[in-house]
Amino acid sequence: MTNVLRTSKEQCLLTNVALNVRDSASCSGRHLLKSFINAALNREEDVHVLGFEVSEEELKGSPVQRLHFHNAYSDPLGWTDKPTFTVHQFCMEELARLLKQTSHPKPATLVIDSLSWILRHVSPPAVCATLHQLRKGGAVRAIVALLHGDMHQRGTVGSVCHLASSVITVAPGMKGGDAVAKITKRSKSGKVVQDEDIFTINNDLTVVIQSKHSQVGHKQADPEEQEMDPTAHLTFNLRLSNKEREAKEKLALPFVFSKEKKTALLHSSPGSGRILYEPDANDDYDQEDPDDDLDV
Amino acid sequence: MAAPVSTVGKPSAERLPLNTTSFQKKTRTKLISIPGTRPSVQNGQLLVSTGVTSLDYLLGGGLAVGTVLLVEEDRYDSYSRMILKYFLAEGVVCRHELFVASAQDNPDDILQELPAPILDDVAIHKPVEQPRLSCEPQDSLDAMKIAWRYQNLPKVQSALASSSRFGHYYDVSKTMEPEIRQAAKCHRFYLTEHPTQSPPTHSTMLESYSALLKSLQEVINSEGFDVAAPMSKSRNILRIGLPSLGSALWGDDLSCHDNPRNGHALATFFYGLRAMLRSSLAVAVVTVPSHLIQDRALMGNITRLCDNAIALESFKGSERETNPLYKDYHGLLHVRQVPHLNCLASKLPDHKDLAFKLKRKQFTIERFEDGL
Repeated sequence: MTNVLRTSKEQCLLTNVALNVRDSASCSGRHLLKSFINAALNREEDVHVLGFEVSEEELKGSPVQRLHFHNAYSDPLGWTDKPTFTVHQFCMEELARLLKQTSHPKPATLVIDSLSWILRHVSPPAVCATLHQLRKGGAVRAIVALLHGDMHQRGTVGSVCHLASSVITVAPGMKGGDAVAKITKRSKSGKVVQDEDIFTINNDLTVVIQSKHSQVGHKQADPEEQEMDPTAHLTFNLRLSNKEREAKEKLALPFVFSKEKKTALLHSSPGSGRILYEPDANDDYDQEDPDDDLDV
Repeated sequence: MAAPVSTVGKPSAERLPLNTTSFQKKTRTKLISIPGTRPSVQNGQLLVSTGVTSLDYLLGGGLAVGTVLLVEEDRYDSYSRMILKYFLAEGVVCRHELFVASAQDNPDDILQELPAPILDDVAIHKPVEQPRLSCEPQDSLDAMKIAWRYQNLPKVQSALASSSRFGHYYDVSKTMEPEIRQAAKCHRFYLTEHPTQSPPTHSTMLESYSALLKSLQEVINSEGFDVAAPMSKSRNILRIGLPSLGSALWGDDLSCHDNPRNGHALATFFYGLRAMLRSSLAVAVVTVPSHLIQDRALMGNITRLCDNAIALESFKGSERETNPLYKDYHGLLHVRQVPHLNCLASKLPDHKDLAFKLKRKQFTIERFEDGL
């Protein structure tokens, strides 16, 4: 049985989706973000990281070829003369230009660390519009964003998470190194699947699921409802044995017509419903006009 | 009811659509008779079906032409989207025209996901094939052993639909066939195709909403849905579907901030929309992500500005999901507003506790029995 966290990690990065990792002050989601980056690199994908909160050395120790780190850590607001990446460059045109710089044939994965930083300086509708355009544009295969849930108003967090196809909320677990992840996945057809897992992250950035707390949500459309069998608990026998059924079918019904006559009656051409009348001896059928003797 | 032998073999396309008899009720010439509508038994308003028969019953028979139905979305926008799809599918089946405006999903994608109607005796535009007659007689005759004369008659719907087929039933597991869908005329408005410039400073309405209203006005005027237009050509109804209005993708920060800057933009839009609809043969169903809107006073404003308003609350993701009381249902339905159309008081629904369940062939809304 596959673990949902692992499949969600693989699935979301395989299909064109947006994933939000939502953390809070009590439990950081950056380790999970790092493990996502690692997994994408292991799958030979190009990864672009917009780093606002931590520097490159802290996020990824040694530089890796397919990992493109855009340094927004040193000067995010453009206070010096030559900023590398500012928060105001978070718009569709600039990002498209940035992503085109690499010459990898496959579309890249974009990792945003963190979206909270951007939301503090750019209005939420603009951020949502940019994310939506990125997703539809096709320049990016998947977007993984880190969002600090306790830093924003509820409406902002809700709006951004509403746009994402999967949201993973991390919270501290019972034991020291554990964390609890609540995963909500929305498919295009409207089905929502929810799961809860307890996980730890090893030193080599692989995710280990400790136990599965599954609470799989209901599917949206029910299968046909189970019908109660009304013949189940009766004192008399309503069922037929095979022999009885054969005998019943062999019984000739009184008005059973042969197959030819049935087809003739069913597929009759229009206008064949004529009434054929043969006058009886009792009928007063006169060839002449019967009303002739009336003096009207 | 025995059918005469001569008509049994006729293709059903020759029959009158949506009628089982050829008798036409003699109506006053003032009432326009448009397919898919019927006058209300309470106040004579022209009603259209929402596509969900339980919802029609709740709204007093159907949606009055010229009104707006506001659906407050559930948390993941699954059931409200389903209601919108039912509404649009009903428009296709009744041969009304559609207008879909969206900021997130492409309107074409929404139209491709409409549920398939369960058609038994509803005649569709293309002539219905005769599967029973064209295949071997063997199969057709084995179908009914005793009542074989009735084999070729269509099966009559035994459910609650009235004889004039006002509402229809849909199968959610299948999507509507492209031939049926393409026969309906559809107007689209996709916000990403309308680049918005910076709004003028003293406007209470956002650029995106103005563009939408302008586009609607153009369609209503050009296609003849205006009530003031000359009555010579045959009239039809325009069904307007607006999913997720007020979300951040429309440029509105109503759902993002507790104290939004453009607090009244959406309310102004609804005011303009309702004014436009009152003078046209159109109906609108709008879904709004009200769970994201923190300012309840603004939400109350918006609710008052719409004629009908319902709110969906799904159990998914909440602690009610595992509550055994709620296991038969998918969520609760709250009626926030009932329309006052040409009257002082309106008919409130009898029961306040309503729950809904989405089954494969029906979206049912029932009174919630909590067993107390």
